[in-house]
Amino acid sequence: MTIPVYLFVGMLESGKTSFIQETMEDPKFDSGEKTLLLLCEEGEEELEPEKFASAGSVVVTLDSKEQLTTENLVRWQQETGAERVLIEYNGMWLMEELAAVLPPDWTIYQCIMTADGTTLENYLSNMRQLLLDKFAVSELLVVNRAEKVTDRMEIHKAVRQASRRCDIAYEYADGSVEYDDIPDELPFDVSGQQITLEDDQFGIWYLDASENPAKYKGKTISFKAQVCQTDRAGKGCFVPGRFAMTCCVDDITFVGFVCKYDQYKTLEQRSWIWVKAKINLKYHPLYRGEGPVLTALEISPAEAPAEDVVYFS
Amino acid sequence: MTIIDIFSGFLGAGKTTLIRKLIAQAYQGEKLVLIENEFGEIGIDGGFLKEAGIQITEMNSGCICCSLVGNFQQALTDVIEKYAPTRVLIEPSGVGKLSDVIAAVQAVADKNPDIQMGGFITVADANKVKMYTKNFGEFYNDQIQNAQVIVLSRTGEISQEKLETALELLRNQNAEAAIITTPWEQLDGQQILEAVKRQEHWAQEMAAEATCGHHHHHHDHSEECGCGHHHHDHNHGEECGCGHHHHDHDHGEECGCGHHHHDHDHGEKCGCGHHHHDHHGEKCGCGHHHHDHHGEKCGCGHHHHDHDHHHADEVFSSIGRETVRKYTPAELEFALQSLDSGEFGAVLRAKGIVQGQDGQWLHFDYVPGEINVRTGSADVTGRLCVIGSGLAEDAICNLFHVK
Repeated sequence: MTIPVYLFVGMLESGKTSFIQETMEDPKFDSGEKTLLLLCEEGEEELEPEKFASAGSVVVTLDSKEQLTTENLVRWQQETGAERVLIEYNGMWLMEELAAVLPPDWTIYQCIMTADGTTLENYLSNMRQLLLDKFAVSELLVVNRAEKVTDRMEIHKAVRQASRRCDIAYEYADGSVEYDDIPDELPFDVSGQQITLEDDQFGIWYLDASENPAKYKGKTISFKAQVCQTDRAGKGCFVPGRFAMTCCVDDITFVGFVCKYDQYKTLEQRSWIWVKAKINLKYHPLYRGEGPVLTALEISPAEAPAEDVVYFS
Repeated sequence: MTIIDIFSGFLGAGKTTLIRKLIAQAYQGEKLVLIENEFGEIGIDGGFLKEAGIQITEMNSGCICCSLVGNFQQALTDVIEKYAPTRVLIEPSGVGKLSDVIAAVQAVADKNPDIQMGGFITVADANKVKMYTKNFGEFYNDQIQNAQVIVLSRTGEISQEKLETALELLRNQNAEAAIITTPWEQLDGQQILEAVKRQEHWAQEMAAEATCGHHHHHHDHSEECGCGHHHHDHNHGEECGCGHHHHDHDHGEECGCGHHHHDHDHGEKCGCGHHHHDHHGEKCGCGHHHHDHHGEKCGCGHHHHDHDHHHADEVFSSIGRETVRKYTPAELEFALQSLDSGEFGAVLRAKGIVQGQDGQWLHFDYVPGEINVRTGSADVTGRLCVIGSGLAEDAICNLFHVK
């Protein structure tokens, strides 16, 4: 049986607890399922389970990161007989730390992030990476105390650095909400069947194709890439990709999609090539699910680009 | 010589505000360089710095993952070479560990004998101590544990109960640091900076005085006029005839005026050729100004705070407490009068500087049969000390409403 997980992320005092409280008080959300609430943080606000729409909830508070283990998660779920799980995640912990311990039958259904408009811009200047880490997995960022935000564009750009899909909602003290409507135009044309990327556009395309793979299904793409030969790509495949930087030099990683190419063995590791390939959507273990898998139509050697590293925005 | 002070604390704690206060009030006359590794809400504005003649260096690193070591050590070495400052102020990232910064600075200091480690100051929002201790474990607690001075911000905005809890949480993590609980506007920047050097030493001092019987010289300054200023017009030198200017009262500790008294050049006046007030006991770390050489040379019979004052510890016990409680003069008078009853042991002396309920500060002194409670200047935190033999600790604490 799959256990749905609803994830609430964001820094301390960003309004996670209030958000969870409101969610649990909503009869449309809480219709009596046995719910396990895992709190990885203890702020000023406390949950009031007696106000929840139904009574079948158990709250478990984690005192430290050491308690975040698969064993504990499984045990708490079994002990409570919970049919679904809500997690209030500690803003200082990385998402990969949760991903590493999530039991196999737990599936994240939704991830919502909250931020305090009073501190968000300051936090972005000083601990950008911790926030980007959360933007990357969230589908919605709720910025409360929105009247304190001075520059929505800065916030928009920061979110887009990590995610092209995360929506941003600004919530004001009077309860009104405005959605971020800053357009995100892709710097390349996706209207035709053939897409050609400039040297510095790979990161943006990679992020968009990861989040909206269907948009690219069946299309042909041409781009410059570096060769990565890895067994993990599977039989007859290699990965043409680029080194990409999210926030700073320490987080540079190689990103790319698996590409089928019968002569892949002739390609030298790390060499620069020009790739023309067709995009299909297939299951691949490297993606732990379905994702874009390329089929090479044409591969030729290429000059190294002016800039080694690409960005996601 | 370049002294390096480090100001740590989480984002929004008030580091920049504190640094501004210290630049204006405590670092005057110094050639300063400020290294910022954080981008605060309130920038230390360029105009202000220019006026104060301060060089500012921003480290281009907004995220915790960027390695502090390489960049930072190079930047520090470079600014010291380029500007030859007398003091470098470092404001590291609020989400970093203070111990890492100290280690990085120490490594630079180890290579250069002209660089000296100064104070490690952590600014903490009094309202958030509990929450941050709980949730930001690693780096926040590291900042608290490695501080020499913890400066609490926004203490005037929270309840006494909450402030007491915060103080207790901090003390549990750091038994040694001076913790400043007084609202900043009541303090002079110099007092904050000096807090590191003037911790719990009343007990030894009072015991020493009680032992040798020469306490007359020590507490009569501000006591009489109560103006909180230190008047250098009574002539110690004349009395003892040694020609030295003694400063038996330790830098505002006893007179409590909070001013730094030693700006005038002692060396010049006393002619002994010694510069007596280098860093005020920084070297031995006890926070006292020792005047070791006076005792030997002047023979005036006064007790000059040599290291030997510690001997008295064996004879007396002492009870020292920090408190953020607000007292009325009547409460203090009652408590002090009660000490005469004998129920609390043989109390030799008691003294304290605590907050009054009307926002003023109360200073008190007690010797058997003699009580003095007066208003005086603010101190960095409220504190009191009782010495004697056979002291009933719990009962005395109850008497003064402290734990």
